[in-house]
Amino acid sequence: MKLAAALVVALVLGALPFLTASNYIIGIGISALIFTVAAAALNLVYGYTGLLSFAQLGFWGIGGYATALTVVTFGGSFWSGLVWAALINAAVALAVGYPTLRTNRHAFVIVTLTFALLVTLIARDWVDLTRGPLGIPNLPPPTAFGYSFDTTAKFYWIAWVFAVAMLGFLHALCSSRIGRTLIAIKQNEPLVRAQGISPMPYKLASFALSAAITGAAGGVYCFNLRIIDPLFLDFYYMQTFLIIVIIGGAGSFWGVVLSGIALSALPEALRFSADFRMIIYGVILVVAMFVMPSGVAGWLRERKIARLRQSLREALR
Amino acid sequence: MSAILNVSDLRKSYAGVHALDGVSFAVAAGSITGLIGPNGSGKSTAIDCISGFQKLDSGKVALADTDITGRPAHHIARAGLMRTFQTVRIYDRLDLRDNLAIAAQQFDPATWIDEFLRTRRYREAIDAAETRARTLVELIGLQRYYEAEVGILSYGQKKLVALAAALMPHPKIVLLDEPVAGVNPSRIREIEVALAQLNRAGETFLIVEHNVEFITNLCHQVIVLDQGKKLAEGTAAEIQSDPRVLEAYLGMTPEMAEAEMRGAA
Repeated sequence: MKLAAALVVALVLGALPFLTASNYIIGIGISALIFTVAAAALNLVYGYTGLLSFAQLGFWGIGGYATALTVVTFGGSFWSGLVWAALINAAVALAVGYPTLRTNRHAFVIVTLTFALLVTLIARDWVDLTRGPLGIPNLPPPTAFGYSFDTTAKFYWIAWVFAVAMLGFLHALCSSRIGRTLIAIKQNEPLVRAQGISPMPYKLASFALSAAITGAAGGVYCFNLRIIDPLFLDFYYMQTFLIIVIIGGAGSFWGVVLSGIALSALPEALRFSADFRMIIYGVILVVAMFVMPSGVAGWLRERKIARLRQSLREALR
Repeated sequence: MSAILNVSDLRKSYAGVHALDGVSFAVAAGSITGLIGPNGSGKSTAIDCISGFQKLDSGKVALADTDITGRPAHHIARAGLMRTFQTVRIYDRLDLRDNLAIAAQQFDPATWIDEFLRTRRYREAIDAAETRARTLVELIGLQRYYEAEVGILSYGQKKLVALAAALMPHPKIVLLDEPVAGVNPSRIREIEVALAQLNRAGETFLIVEHNVEFITNLCHQVIVLDQGKKLAEGTAAEIQSDPRVLEAYLGMTPEMAEAEMRGAA
């Protein structure tokens, strides 16, 4: 049922370039797809495994630079750049995660935040590699078999295929026994250990997978912008991913996917009021958090539990 | 009966305080053994050290013929020693079915590749876990809640869920850390009946508990700890009449206990 609905939504989104000729709307569509993937990757490590990782911003940046440099400096293709982005990020995540995940959850938050800031510094100051504050402009459009994805509408297909593939993979992962084990680790780690499961490989794997997917998403996004510079590591991106996860409901796959698409479109829908746009956006977020402190998915879940209690009460009467 | 759990000379101290000061005992296969003692006598430390949640300073723990001393908690669990916790630990946000399924998942041979390909090995593992779960849920009387999130259950019911989860992988022995502490008195009897029934079916339990009546009703053998040392060991009747136990546990000298008994009579 959920899958059928998701398929319909995916197909409708896929048809977007046929429904509108506006590059502006299609551009929003591209951002929505890529941000949703990055948020779903954050959801894997934060919503499922319970590890609040600010390193996502660093992975996003490393992925962007890795893809851009593969093409511009090393003469590779956009596609191999994405693969490099994923591999480098997975390796970095393993190196950062292995010692850090042995500390407690609070230390993990601090270390990941520091990591993100460090990546920003490198992007700005390692001028030989990243070209510093000037960045790398004029990234060429991706090509495949002689076909060039050189318009916004054509680039939309890349974002769409990427999003469907990544979300499909994440859904398969999260709904498997592995996903269930991640939820168990978040809820009660000592009990997981008492049941013979070592939490460390699960935590490490979810952190590394999340990093790889975020990196690839960053790679796609910078070729959408056609430029990468240190602003690509603006905290705005981390904030966006986090808001999507929190409003959607951490630990709910579909909640986060829906909120990713809705919240990417929301600031644009508020453009009717240019002056108060961000204020209205903020008010909507605050109200949403008041009404649904555990996100949309959490709110639905609480209603379901209330119904369950009610029916149990009636059955006992 | 042969011993399924053998601990010898357990020692553990915190900042100079000897929580365990050379404790040795054995648990016979198929028995219910009680571990009692006043607050701070080292009962919980013993359970934590045996199950690998705390590191022993010295001593030896053997499960059947396997030496499990100093191994990490998840290795000890895989060797067949399951435990519950004093403050109930279950997965509040998962339903009862998943709570039980996770408890067994590390013990079946199906890998994530089996799951992805839905191999026969995976399907058989799932079916076996489902059958076991249904049996246990019936035993603890929570069939009605099988598909419900366990967070909605009462404290006593949650303790039963924790017990059922510990039994899921057919363990060699289950360590219960205060299974009836904080449980509504009317439920205590239910837990007692369930444990006796499981024991008749062949399960072995080591129970740490304050409720003396509960221990007396259930246990074949009782071990009394005091200040990190084993004070006494024997059947419930033997323990109850042991003057050293009365003094340590009830804070009474034998004379006082006798006087109280006369007063009661």
